[in-house]
Amino acid sequence: MRSRSTPPLWRRRQLLQTAGATALGAATLGLPRLGFANEPAKPAELIVRAWGGVWVDALNEGVSAPFSEMTGIRIRHDLTEDNEIQPRIWAAVAQGRKPPIHINWDTSTNATKSAMRGVTVDLSDLPNLEGLLPAATPVGLDGFPIVNVYSYVYVLAYREAVFPDGPPDSWNILLDPRFRSRVAVYNDGIGFHPAAQIAGGGTFEDIPDNMEPAWEFIRQLKAQNPLLGEDPDFTNWFQQGEIDVACTIISNAREARANGIDVAWTIPKEGAKIDTDALWIPQGLDDNETYWAKQYINYALTLEAQQPWLDRLGLPGVRPGVVPPADLVGDPAYPTTDEDFARLISVPTPILAEYERDWFIKFTEIMQS
Amino acid sequence: MASRLVDGLEVVRAALWPKPLAWATGYALLLPALLVVGLLALGLVYIVDASFRELDTRTFLLAETYSLGNFQEIWERTVFWRITGRTLLAAVIVTAITLALAFPYAYLMVRTRSSLLRKLLLISLFLPFFIGQVVRAYGWLIILGQQGIANTLLQQIGLGPFRLIFTYETVIFGLVQYMLPFAVLMLAPALAAISEEVELAAESLGARWWEAMLNVVVPMAKPGFVAAGVVVFTISLTDFAMPAVLGGGTNDFLANSIYHAFFRISDPGLASALAVILVAIGSTIVAILFAWLGTGTLGFRKSSGASA
Repeated sequence: MRSRSTPPLWRRRQLLQTAGATALGAATLGLPRLGFANEPAKPAELIVRAWGGVWVDALNEGVSAPFSEMTGIRIRHDLTEDNEIQPRIWAAVAQGRKPPIHINWDTSTNATKSAMRGVTVDLSDLPNLEGLLPAATPVGLDGFPIVNVYSYVYVLAYREAVFPDGPPDSWNILLDPRFRSRVAVYNDGIGFHPAAQIAGGGTFEDIPDNMEPAWEFIRQLKAQNPLLGEDPDFTNWFQQGEIDVACTIISNAREARANGIDVAWTIPKEGAKIDTDALWIPQGLDDNETYWAKQYINYALTLEAQQPWLDRLGLPGVRPGVVPPADLVGDPAYPTTDEDFARLISVPTPILAEYERDWFIKFTEIMQS
Repeated sequence: MASRLVDGLEVVRAALWPKPLAWATGYALLLPALLVVGLLALGLVYIVDASFRELDTRTFLLAETYSLGNFQEIWERTVFWRITGRTLLAAVIVTAITLALAFPYAYLMVRTRSSLLRKLLLISLFLPFFIGQVVRAYGWLIILGQQGIANTLLQQIGLGPFRLIFTYETVIFGLVQYMLPFAVLMLAPALAAISEEVELAAESLGARWWEAMLNVVVPMAKPGFVAAGVVVFTISLTDFAMPAVLGGGTNDFLANSIYHAFFRISDPGLASALAVILVAIGSTIVAILFAWLGTGTLGFRKSSGASA
C-alpha cells in the first residue's frame, strides 16, 4: 500500500475553502431530512470502507473531512479490500448481525451483486440524485439500491523512457518480446478482458457469448510471463523498475507520476474498458446510522464534494459541472466528449456481475498454467 | 503467609470443585482444548455443508439443494489439478530442504560447548519469530528485486539484472527460510535426548563420525524428524502469504485459490469445496506418515528408538 502524502498547501487551502463553503451551504440549504419528522440522533462515527493510498486520501479530502466538519460525525475509513468486506457484510445481514461498516465504497459490479443478493438499503429518497448524469443510475436494478459516483478507465500505462518515439498505440505491445517479464495486469484480469477481446480479433458484440479471442490473447500474454497484482502493486513495480507496461486504472498511473515515477498512459486503438464505482449502505444498521449514512452519500453527490474528491483521483464525476484537473483536459482517459466515449469499451454491469466469476476463473486457469 | 494463602486457595478449590468430582478433573482440564477443537470442527461442518451447494449468480446465494457441482467443476478444470500438484510438490521440496538444513543447525546448537555460539544460534533462531511472514516476504522482494541488493551486486560484476522474484523457486526459497526455525525447534529436543556417550560409543567401536551420525544419531532422532516434517509439511501445504507475495500472481497454492474463490469471485461453495479437498489431502498424508513412521515427538505413543 502506498504511503499517504501530505496534501500540498494549495490543496489544504482549497479544502478549507470548500469546507467553509459546504458548511455555509448546509446552513442555508440544510441537509435534507430523509423521511424522519425529527432528525435522528447522530452516531459518534460512521465507518466508510475505502481503498488505500490516493483513493482514501481523495475521499477524505473531498467528502469525509467536510462532512465531519459539517455534522460533527467522525468518519473512520476501513481499508479492508472491497472483495474481503463483501462476504462479511453478506454474512452479517444473513445472520441478523450489524454489518461491520456503514457505507461501502465499492466497484459497481460488486455493489450490483450485493443489491442482487438483497443486502442494500434503498437510496431512492436521496435528494441529490436529482440532476445527476445517467452514469449514476445503476443498470439492471430497480431504483437506487446503489448509486454510481464516478467513471474510470483501465488505461495502458507505460514507462515513458522506454517509448522515446511516443506512446504505444495497441494492447499488442503487451505481447512484444522486448517486454517479456516486464508487463503487468490485475491478478484476475479485471478491466482487461474486454480489451483483450478486441485486441485478440474479437468483437464487442461477442461479449459474453464468445470470449475465445480474449482467452487466446491472454494465452499469448501468459507466454510473456506477466506480473499479476492489485492497485498498489502497479505503482511499486513501476517505481522499482520491475515493469514497463501495464493495464491499470488511470488513478494509479497518475498517482505514480505525481510521485515522480516516469509513467504515462494512453488509450490504445482497440479501446479501453470504462467502468464505475458506487456507494451503498448495508441493511441491518440502526435507523439513525442508516439516516446519517444516507446523508454522507447525499453529500458525496454534491458538486462541492465531487470536485476535490475526483480532482485528486483524476476521474469524471456524475454531477454535471465537475471540471477536469488541468493535466487531464483533453485526455481521452478522462472522457468528456462523445468522441472520447467512442474510444472506450463499456460492458453493462449486469453482464459483468453474471459473468465475472467465469472470466476470473478462466483468466486464472490460463495464468496458472 | 504463603501456607495460609495455599490453605485459603484449597478451601476455595474444595468449594468450587468438591472431592466427589475429583475423577472429572482431567476431563475439566481438557475442556478448553475440546472447546477450541469443537469450534474448529463446527466450522468444518459448515464448510462441508457449503461445499455441496452451488452459487446462484442471479441472487448470489448458495442453492438450498445439495449437489456435487462444485467438486465436478474442480474435477473438470485443469487449473485446480495444476495448483494442487504445485502445492503438494512445493510442500515436499520445502520439507526435504528444511529438514536437511535444520539437522546440522539443531545438532550444533545442542552439542556445542561454547555458550556464546549456542546463544548466537538461539538468537538467530528466535529473531525471525518476531518478524511476521508477510514482512519477511516483502524483505525478500527488496533484496531480490530488479533494483535490490542481489541484483546490484551482480551488476557490479557485469551480470544481470535477473528476475530473481515472482518464480516458483523464490516461493520455495521463502518458505524454507520461514520454516527453518520451526524445524530446528522440533528437532532440538529429540537431539538433546540422545546421549553424547552413544555417539562416543559408536566411534570407539570404529565408526567414523559420519557413520555414527548416519547410523546412530539420525535413526535415534527419528521422532524429531517426524514431528518437524509433519509441521513443516502441513504449514507449507496450507501457506498463503509466500506464494501471494513472492509468486507474482502466477504461482498460486491451494490456499490462494480458496481465497480467490471466497473473496474474488464471491463463491463460498467453490471455495469450501477447495478447502475440503485441501483438508482431506493434508489429513490423509499426515495419517499415512503417522501410520508409517510413528507420531514422533508430537504423539502420545513412544516410537521405537526414541529416548525422548
